Amino acid sequence: MSLERTELVVGEKRSPFLTWIAQGIMIFLALLFLMPILLIFVTGFKADAEIVRFTGILPHAPTLANFERVLQTPEEFPVFRWLLNSIFISSSVTLLVLTVDSLAAYGLARLNLPGKKWVFGLIVGTLMVPGQILLVPVYLILNRLGWLDTPLALIVPAGAGAFGVFLLHQFFVGIPRELEEAAALDGCSRLKIYWHVVLPLSRPALATLGLFTFIGSWNDFIGPLVFLDSSEKYTLPVGVAIFQSSFYTEYGLTLAASVLCTLPILIVFLLFQRNIVKGIAMTGLKD
Amino acid sequence: MTPTLADPETISSKAKSPKETLKRYSGWLFVLPYLILFSLFLLTPLIYGFRLSLYKSELLSLSPPRFIGAGNYAEAFRDPYFWKAMTVTMRMMLLVTPITILTALGIAVGINSLPRKRQTFFRSAFFVPGMLTISVVGIVWRWFYSPEFGVFNAYLGAFGLRPPWLGNPAWATLAIVIMTVWWTVGGPMIILLAGLQNQPEQYLEAAALDGATAFQRFRFISLPLLRPVLLFTIILNVIGAFQIFGQTLLVTKGGPEFGTRTLVQYIYDTAFNNYRMGYASSMSWILFVVIGAFAVIQFRVLREK
Amino acid sequence: MWLNLQKRFLTITARIGISAILSFCLTGCGTSRNAPTLIRFWNGFTGPDGTRALQIVRQFNQENPDIEVRMQRIEWGTYYNKLYVAGIGKRAPEVFVLHTSALRRFEETGFVRPIDDLLGDFPVNDLDANVWDATVYKGKHYGLPMDFHPIGLYYNRKLFREAGIVDANGEAKPPRTKSEFLEDARKLTKTSNNAALSQWGYAYSNAPLHVYSLMKQYGGKFFTPDLSKCLLNSPENVAALQFCVDMILKDKTAPSPDASDPWIGFRQGRVAMTWNGIFMLPDLQKQKDLDFAGFPVAQIGEQSAVQAGSHNFCLNANMGEKKRNAAWKFAKFYSDHSLDWAEAGQVPVRKSLRQSPRFAKMTVQSQFANQISYGAYFPQIPFNQEFETEFNYAVERTLRGSVTPKEALDAATAKIEQVIARRREDRQSVTGVASP
Repeated sequence: MSLERTELVVGEKRSPFLTWIAQGIMIFLALLFLMPILLIFVTGFKADAEIVRFTGILPHAPTLANFERVLQTPEEFPVFRWLLNSIFISSSVTLLVLTVDSLAAYGLARLNLPGKKWVFGLIVGTLMVPGQILLVPVYLILNRLGWLDTPLALIVPAGAGAFGVFLLHQFFVGIPRELEEAAALDGCSRLKIYWHVVLPLSRPALATLGLFTFIGSWNDFIGPLVFLDSSEKYTLPVGVAIFQSSFYTEYGLTLAASVLCTLPILIVFLLFQRNIVKGIAMTGLKD
Repeated sequence: MTPTLADPETISSKAKSPKETLKRYSGWLFVLPYLILFSLFLLTPLIYGFRLSLYKSELLSLSPPRFIGAGNYAEAFRDPYFWKAMTVTMRMMLLVTPITILTALGIAVGINSLPRKRQTFFRSAFFVPGMLTISVVGIVWRWFYSPEFGVFNAYLGAFGLRPPWLGNPAWATLAIVIMTVWWTVGGPMIILLAGLQNQPEQYLEAAALDGATAFQRFRFISLPLLRPVLLFTIILNVIGAFQIFGQTLLVTKGGPEFGTRTLVQYIYDTAFNNYRMGYASSMSWILFVVIGAFAVIQFRVLREK
Repeated sequence: MWLNLQKRFLTITARIGISAILSFCLTGCGTSRNAPTLIRFWNGFTGPDGTRALQIVRQFNQENPDIEVRMQRIEWGTYYNKLYVAGIGKRAPEVFVLHTSALRRFEETGFVRPIDDLLGDFPVNDLDANVWDATVYKGKHYGLPMDFHPIGLYYNRKLFREAGIVDANGEAKPPRTKSEFLEDARKLTKTSNNAALSQWGYAYSNAPLHVYSLMKQYGGKFFTPDLSKCLLNSPENVAALQFCVDMILKDKTAPSPDASDPWIGFRQGRVAMTWNGIFMLPDLQKQKDLDFAGFPVAQIGEQSAVQAGSHNFCLNANMGEKKRNAAWKFAKFYSDHSLDWAEAGQVPVRKSLRQSPRFAKMTVQSQFANQISYGAYFPQIPFNQEFETEFNYAVERTLRGSVTPKEALDAATAKIEQVIARRREDRQSVTGVASP
């Protein structure tokens, strides 16, 4: 497998000294990139008065007060409610996208559909459509459907994106024909081939798409901001924005809420991150 | 952008019998669920948005929407705020895309040169910022940039430097660019890394045997091989950079003096502060055309080299 | 091991997802017959004021088991957009808060209801007349004022004492007149090459409110009475704005907005004076090591005036009698508890409550309350948001020294006239009559 090879070449003729320098630079850069996240986590334990006078990264008088405020006053900050909403919406979106996109990509990549080139061309063409320009019309359509201020407003339109179809199409095209033919000879229907042959072979691609979709939905800010009204229906990102007052920011509370908002997604990422590179490497994005 | 891929089935079978034809058409059922969503929430809004852009459609107004042809477009071209937002957007894009792609490429090459076992950590480290939601990113970076108690100036102050990060349009633009690069470099980096690791290494081995230096190998073998992936990431990034919104909304509120208000933010303000849906739609379409033009140009230039 | 973890994680997520769906259903489907009347209450109190408001709501719910007030907070900027759109979409809450300057914008939409028929035994005379009258439009009251929130002077007593600006008892003495104000600002400014060490006499922590106050003090007008013309670039307004710029560019007693966060500067004790809203008080109270006090703003122009706002309870026009009565009951309850509300940095508009010893103990609020008779709202116009956007932009550009006051106000005026023209055109197309 291609993933295990390059290492042989690079670094082969290099002096250990250079390798160390390269690694040193990488470590420095990586720490630089992680620093802001570290600061969020550490500063959540500072009192507001201390945050306003920055005297060092570590808190002088660590306090749990911010977290207590955020967690113990569900009436004020229904953090768990928002968390559940976020999980529900992001999971639903991911499920919808994976189902609908893989079916469509299978049809377009593996079946002999009349006129599919045109349709696929149209779908891929919309990759260029910036999502934000759809905001106003989608808002008006959702209003007509009566879906505003419901989770549906965030779930269903998310299934229309072209990226997943494109990604999976590229992957499916590369699956060897023989496997499918063998299954067809055994009398498998197209649906069965899709389910028993194509999907199992496409796990890395599906995992990649699933992860990207989940992250995208989890972090979506403008969607919930515009489509939801009731605070008990908010997702975490919009909920966290509540801690910002119009006139000044309660930094301690905001940061504590940010920590709570970030932690779950970090865990998901760490669990699944191995699949990402593999998935992308195998999805024919190279073409 | 349609990929040129061999499609065995279209070449092989030429079905003729009615049953076969039925079977061929029934295959569309697989695509149908997506197509419904696609038409309802992508094609329809696109066309609806265009129609809206030809109307004077304002929620604040007492009169019903009224057809005014190109009136909204004409207004945009006369509107100084529109031009300002357009300039800001262009400036952001011209800064964000090259910096992001170069950084991503640098990091990808750096990671690729490390022993396999150590790559996981670095891959994650650079990808993790992109996992944060924009509201968290915005809040935190506004704090970092604070002239009074921001982390940057706390440390830069030691060298006598106190840049007015969000204080004037030029610095604020730079501030937004830095934070955007930090936030979004992970995606292109991962894709480029995958591209690098997917390259057939016979070429690299051969070049190494011929005595090519690491730089030469990169410049003359890896980079050309990487071009399609690079093209893909650049186009995606340009589309993304044209749509910068959350950062400016949360960190600078578009200021100072609207010096960081991007077109998307102006569209948002027009639609949801002033409820001028028709005018907002016309600006959306202008943005769409600009992005499309850029994408096509890049595609041509980078592909035909 | 990783795969294992992933699997376990997936099952856990699935479980959480399912329970989430269940809980959605349970809350949605399981409404019992004796359910209390639900009153949704929207506002923009996202700071500590929201915490205080929630306490009052909680108390009301406890005392009135047949009513459930459910409060929702959205940051003001977004709040108005959401409320407007929700109202047009018939999804507006039963009770919502509007600033006095926003009343007319919402009155036009028809989903705000006049409250005159509900007043009953409400002690209307206990309300401050100018605040109560400001809610009138076309002869009807469109909201019940819940407070008065002027800007005022916050000053650092320690810095005043250090600079020797004290009264006979050696207490810090805040400025009352133009000359005192300028003089004090000068005495309190210590410029240093190291920006971190400089100290500023004054800082614009909320410039638009400051400038608006001064324009009112200079006798500036903003619109003709029939709203057909914008007068923002009148000589009085230009002069007021010029005074503000001069403090930065000429006197150098206030920092340029470029390189500072004036509010934080005040919290850190490096800014001696700033004018800002009474609602900022809770943020200062967190800063235990800051010796500050409040005072009415100095009179710089010919007349007393200070920018102020009021929050009003407004009722949804489309609700049944039961909800209407419950909503009104809540509004009255809140008004009666104005003192609790005042703790969050507000001035009660019930005169009787202001005379209580409890209010006297709220020293900053009491000082700011002295300005109540000359508080000036932002123009009460249907296009207030468009006006304020242009106004803020003009102030920002001027104070940053990018344009002269005249240029900025001319440009803003032209923009606002465009809005007026659009509205006139609108009216014509509806009624055929050319009136704004």
